[in-house]
Amino acid sequence: MSLAGPRPERTRATARSRRRQRTFYTFISPWLLGFVLLTLLPLIAGLLISLTNYDGLNPRSMHLVGLDNYVTAFKDPLVRHASGRTMVWVLLNLPLWIIVSFFLAILVNQKIKGIGIFRTLFYIPSVIPAVGLVWTWKILLEQNYGLLNGFLSLFRPGTAIGWLSDQAIYGVTSIALWSGLGAGMIIFLAGLQGLPDELIEAARIDGASSFQVFWKITLPLMTPVLFFQIVLGLISAFQMFVIPWLATTSGSVPAPPRGVYLYMVNIYRQIFGVGRFGYGMAILWLLIVVIMALTLLVFRTQRYWVYSEVEE
Amino acid sequence: MVAIASAQASQTARARRRKKLQRLLFYTLLVLVAVVLTVPVIWLLITSLKKDVEYLSYPITFLPAVPQWKNYVQVFDPKFHFLKHAGMTVFLAVTYSTLCVLSSALSGFAFARFPDVKASRRLFGIVVAMIIIPGIVTIIPQFMIFSKMRLTGTYWPWVLWGLAGSPFHIFLFRQFFLSFPKELEDAAEVDGCSPFSIFWRIFLPNAQPVIATSFILNFVAVWGDWFTPMIYLRSDNTTLAVLINNVFRNPAGNLITTLTVAGTVVYILPMVLIFFLGQRYILKGVVTSGLAGR
Repeated sequence: MSLAGPRPERTRATARSRRRQRTFYTFISPWLLGFVLLTLLPLIAGLLISLTNYDGLNPRSMHLVGLDNYVTAFKDPLVRHASGRTMVWVLLNLPLWIIVSFFLAILVNQKIKGIGIFRTLFYIPSVIPAVGLVWTWKILLEQNYGLLNGFLSLFRPGTAIGWLSDQAIYGVTSIALWSGLGAGMIIFLAGLQGLPDELIEAARIDGASSFQVFWKITLPLMTPVLFFQIVLGLISAFQMFVIPWLATTSGSVPAPPRGVYLYMVNIYRQIFGVGRFGYGMAILWLLIVVIMALTLLVFRTQRYWVYSEVEE
Repeated sequence: MVAIASAQASQTARARRRKKLQRLLFYTLLVLVAVVLTVPVIWLLITSLKKDVEYLSYPITFLPAVPQWKNYVQVFDPKFHFLKHAGMTVFLAVTYSTLCVLSSALSGFAFARFPDVKASRRLFGIVVAMIIIPGIVTIIPQFMIFSKMRLTGTYWPWVLWGLAGSPFHIFLFRQFFLSFPKELEDAAEVDGCSPFSIFWRIFLPNAQPVIATSFILNFVAVWGDWFTPMIYLRSDNTTLAVLINNVFRNPAGNLITTLTVAGTVVYILPMVLIFFLGQRYILKGVVTSGLAGR
């Protein structure tokens, strides 16, 4: 065996792998550059700004204030209120969305004539973009001229419930729910259609009722989809902003009512309303930390209730 | 014998009748749900045909006395600049979507076809994490940087976002490109094809379904976005979402609800059309997004 034997082989191999490596990095460079400049940099910049008293206008008078903003945040009654409302929002919206869209998916998973039309119809609300969505619902929920109160007045004349003012939590929940059902349904439907038919057939032959099949087979097999829906739903519910903002504010109403004064609404108000950029960044970072911690927590619970085919 | 047979026959007849009844009940339920879900859209269409005084009447009027089709003509009145901003929105959405599709496809290709590069797996982990990590947390700090660079009020941020691609779309393309046979690539390499022309001439032309999904989802996202154009753009170059929300005012400066609603219908219509034409692609994208984390 000559010592020189394997060497050219290896150099050729490493040359090739080095070339491939270069190609790989060239190809992903737009994304990588974007990730560093448009995601990482803003996040770090945001973190640094959160340590200052920056007001968005005068970089000259900007100076470091250390952790002052974070200390203020923990004492700020507005932050406490907004956090509380966000918890209410999440606890109301997430279960509603999951249950109703799962229910719709089961409905449209039946193999009967014309079911395709219903699938399409049920998805239509999800096609409507935020601004259209909000106007669609403003005219339904308006206190004096809206359809809902008009309809209720047929039974109880003079009904004037403020669905978008003092009862906004329910009004805005209906809007968000209506718009989210389509996507939720489609994802659950895809999950349902991926279930093994044999298992359900076998259970039926053994005399299991539809109810038993659902609880003992369908639901456990659907837990991976359920899990992911909960994670995504949680993350987006914590950041809810556009719908409550658009639905409840107008020229004469500069900020959403207390019921839907959510955490992101408060951040937006602090930064763009009052110009407290430094403080806004601090409370934004607190939200990021909370969302990440909760997501990790939910991931931790995964092994207790989520079905997985691979035994670990 | 005869008695048993007839008893059996009546039993199956009863079972059949029960099944029929069940089906009828099920259809009733479906129709009921459909009505609840479509009432808002029907009310939107009805209101768009009312006079504003009809909308502002108390107690409410359910139907317009005479359908005001001219609301739809008024939406396009030059003083509201509807068409001008519709054009701008299409331009912005097409520019962003094209760039995003190309960039995401290129990265997706790299992640799918270069598994031998060591950092590939870890970097792809970042991509997946970025799908889950919320966009709104970066959008405000990003805004500060862009405004420092004096790029707010222009379309350049969208160009940069497009060039950077989007994690979800990279994921979409990677999944699709993973299924291509290795021989295809090897044969092309032997023939002296560069990696870029393998991507450009072989992989991309065969990725039409994902390209369609990705383009449609991006287009719809820009069209529907209200927050970003609202904080980034000026009122004279903003998108339709921001425009229709507060442009339809009477000379006194008050918002005209019925006209806004008519404008909303016109604004929504392209999305409904795109949905019906590209239903297959859109739903595939939605399903992938739901299963991305698995």
